[in-house]
Amino acid sequence: MPRSDEIDAAQGGEDVLEQAAEELRRPLRVDAALFDARVMDEVLRPRHRVRDAVRSLARKRSVSVSPIGALAAACLFAVVVSGAVMAIERVHAPELARRAPQLAGEPIVRFGFVAPRASSVALVGDFNDWDPKATPLRANAAGGVWSVDVPIRPGRHIYAFVVDGKTWRPDPAAPPAYGEDFGEPNSALTVADPGAQ
Amino acid sequence: MIRAALTLFAFAAVLGAPRALAAQDARLSARLDAQTRDAVTGIIDSVRATGIPSEPLVQKALEGASKHADDARIVSAVRKLAGELGDARAALGASSSDAEVIAGASALHAGIAPRALTRMRAARAQGSLTVALAVLADLVARGVPGDTATSVISALTVAGAQDAELLKFRQGVEGDIARGATPAAALGGRAKSARMPTP
Repeated sequence: MPRSDEIDAAQGGEDVLEQAAEELRRPLRVDAALFDARVMDEVLRPRHRVRDAVRSLARKRSVSVSPIGALAAACLFAVVVSGAVMAIERVHAPELARRAPQLAGEPIVRFGFVAPRASSVALVGDFNDWDPKATPLRANAAGGVWSVDVPIRPGRHIYAFVVDGKTWRPDPAAPPAYGEDFGEPNSALTVADPGAQ
Repeated sequence: MIRAALTLFAFAAVLGAPRALAAQDARLSARLDAQTRDAVTGIIDSVRATGIPSEPLVQKALEGASKHADDARIVSAVRKLAGELGDARAALGASSSDAEVIAGASALHAGIAPRALTRMRAARAQGSLTVALAVLADLVARGVPGDTATSVISALTVAGAQDAELLKFRQGVEGDIARGATPAAALGGRAKSARMPTP
């Protein structure tokens, strides 16, 4: 038989349960106006997309990758990166444009410049009267690499690029021209004369 | 009769001289104010008679105009270049080509001594020195000391290096500098690999 103290405890437990049930049954008061205001505040709160993206990227995750899969991904990444770098370097340095039509006595030189955000790039130098309107470069399909083929007389030349019609830039892939008479750095180009030697 | 001939000659000279300068003046007139144009044209006229190429002087003035340099700076730069072109012509000899004189002037502008140009001319009396002088100027612009660059390029020239080899040599030095070598060390290393006397 249960002892008297056990009966009292059981009775007390039932009371507590009854009180809890009654509390849960009580309707919850919701202030509709306040609720709507909170919802709209949340909807209209300015989104910090960059911050959220950074936080999302910084959040630790567990990823399961097989060793072969990881090796393949690393190889693919290396191939893509090296291919992109080689493509940029190939277009970037001034070079003889072998596929372009060649005028008599003047080798065609291909100039390239990487400027993804530029709206225009022009070539200026001692072969076009330093005229920013004379030799505009054309952007490739992606829009970041600009190039132009120009017939250049054999010899040493000085040139630069004008970005967006106002900013002078030397060619980072070419030797700098020694000494600046007018404050803006130039690049040097040497075109060998095929018939000289 | 003689007076008539002299009058006719003077008339032809008056008519012909401005026409000879007209093509050049058109470019300068379009980009320079009258005072600067006259000063530049005066420099060009003074050097033209000596056989110095004048086109680089026009281009120097146009460069200054495109870069919105002030007039005094443009005239000063043109005058300085005229002096360098004249010195290069004198160092390389009267038979040197315009391209050689222009490349020689760039070497002088970089600090190379005129006697170095004369030695290189003597070492290669027949072939063109244009690329050798241009490579010399480029190396100095990259930071290679002028005397060591001169000795190595002169040695390569004496050894009969072709233009393509000189350009490849310069690219090698530039690559080594880009990878962290000092300009002098890069030149020395490339000279060693080219079996040239190290500076």
